[in-house]
Amino acid sequence: MSIIDKLLKLDQRIIFALMFIALAFPILNPVVLPMAIQDYSQQAFDFADNIPEGSIVIFEGGLNAATYPQGGPGMVVQMYHMLTKGVKIVFFSIGAEANLWTMTAIETALAKLPAGTPAENGVDWVHLGYVAGGEAGTGALWNDIRATVAADYFDTPIDDIPLLEGINDASSFSAILWWGGSEGSMPYGIRQISVPFGIPISGMCTTNEVPNFSPYISAGQLQGLFGGVRGSAEYEFLLNMPGPALGQAMATNFGGLLWMIMVLLGNVIYFVQRSRGEA
Amino acid sequence: MTDAEMMGLIAGSLVSLGAYSVLIGDNPISKITENIYMGILGGYIFAINWDFIQKNAVAKVAGGEFVYIIAILLSLMLLGRLKSEYLWISRYPVVLTVGVGLGLAMRTTVMADFLGQIRATMLPWNSLNNIVMVIGTCTAAAYFIFTAQSSGVYKYVNTAGRLFLLCAFGVTYGQTVSFRMELVIGRLVAMLDPRVAMYTYAFIVIIAAILAYGYKTKKIEWHTGR
Repeated sequence: MSIIDKLLKLDQRIIFALMFIALAFPILNPVVLPMAIQDYSQQAFDFADNIPEGSIVIFEGGLNAATYPQGGPGMVVQMYHMLTKGVKIVFFSIGAEANLWTMTAIETALAKLPAGTPAENGVDWVHLGYVAGGEAGTGALWNDIRATVAADYFDTPIDDIPLLEGINDASSFSAILWWGGSEGSMPYGIRQISVPFGIPISGMCTTNEVPNFSPYISAGQLQGLFGGVRGSAEYEFLLNMPGPALGQAMATNFGGLLWMIMVLLGNVIYFVQRSRGEA
Repeated sequence: MTDAEMMGLIAGSLVSLGAYSVLIGDNPISKITENIYMGILGGYIFAINWDFIQKNAVAKVAGGEFVYIIAILLSLMLLGRLKSEYLWISRYPVVLTVGVGLGLAMRTTVMADFLGQIRATMLPWNSLNNIVMVIGTCTAAAYFIFTAQSSGVYKYVNTAGRLFLLCAFGVTYGQTVSFRMELVIGRLVAMLDPRVAMYTYAFIVIIAAILAYGYKTKKIEWHTGR
């Protein structure tokens, strides 16, 4: 049996094992490879950095157990970025599970804040919790907050929250930060808040969804996008807050390299076979 | 780190390894972890939604806002799906939900997904990016005109459109592979955390031993890998 035949009959479990090693190695032995900042991440960072102090922003937390490891570090950094700038945040989640992970990120960000940073619940930030109904729920919430949710995540009645005093729709907000993860929900924010109220929006999605949302960036409807763990790593880098995402981005490089070798090998074998008239 | 968080990491490591064991082949350990996950997630989502209904509908009715009775009634009608003879009852809230969803989406879809996208394609031909964007959009759109014969000039337009589409599919494929790797990396970071790494290694040995015993005694079916 020739090498080509052996490779063609290779058990896929060997490829899985190789991929496991390629991904685990940089985690066990941290290696830092050069990293260029992508345009979309730079745009999203500049957008966040230019939000004026004292503004109030809408923050959708859509990460779940699967996507939190890649988006969570960036989400935490963005919360840190906003609160240290003196920007107030109103959180909500359209996913039941995401609601819990958003709270986890808030707690992590609060723990990292420098002493003396104003970050009082209800004054500097508020988490409205889970809102059912997907796009319809998003539209309902930001057209009439009090008719849609009676209390926040901690069961505090909306009327008792100082930050929401005199606010009942999206018109009082300066920006939307949409951490949709793999929800595919970013168009909800564009269609139901950004376009009707004229509020600029930027966001984060998982790597596989970046091509879906890049037309919105080209059209100027989305002011930037953090894609997957690399986006999170770039945010950490740009804010000079090295964290877990940078290490994970390096592991992605190693895995990507192995995958590229596999694809090239597969194509070489295909052309060799075709030249022999076997393919 | 609290004891509860530590227990969470250890349990997460065990369940992740159990779930990943499906890569060797379908086996009882992967099935158990799948079922545990589905059960926990189902229970959690039920509890969160129940809380949402309590706070935002039941409490409001109790507070005198009787208009929310309609929402509760419509929600209850959805339960008609559970028995085939009452399925028709559930169609009314479903129709209403679809209608509201469509109406809300259409309200700004023309601006967000149609006019905005067309405007974004009307670019000056002053950079390679812009030229590629305009030609790519036009030829890819032309590829889907099925009423024209693929001959003459249109044949070249068609081929260019197909090439642009294939490039786009390649990008999507690459991004999807990267996303899948990131999912694994996220779990690996937690599993290989120095505080739980020893548990992870121990779980690998235990799961491997159970599977090896199962395959050897033929109590678990061995799947020929490809």
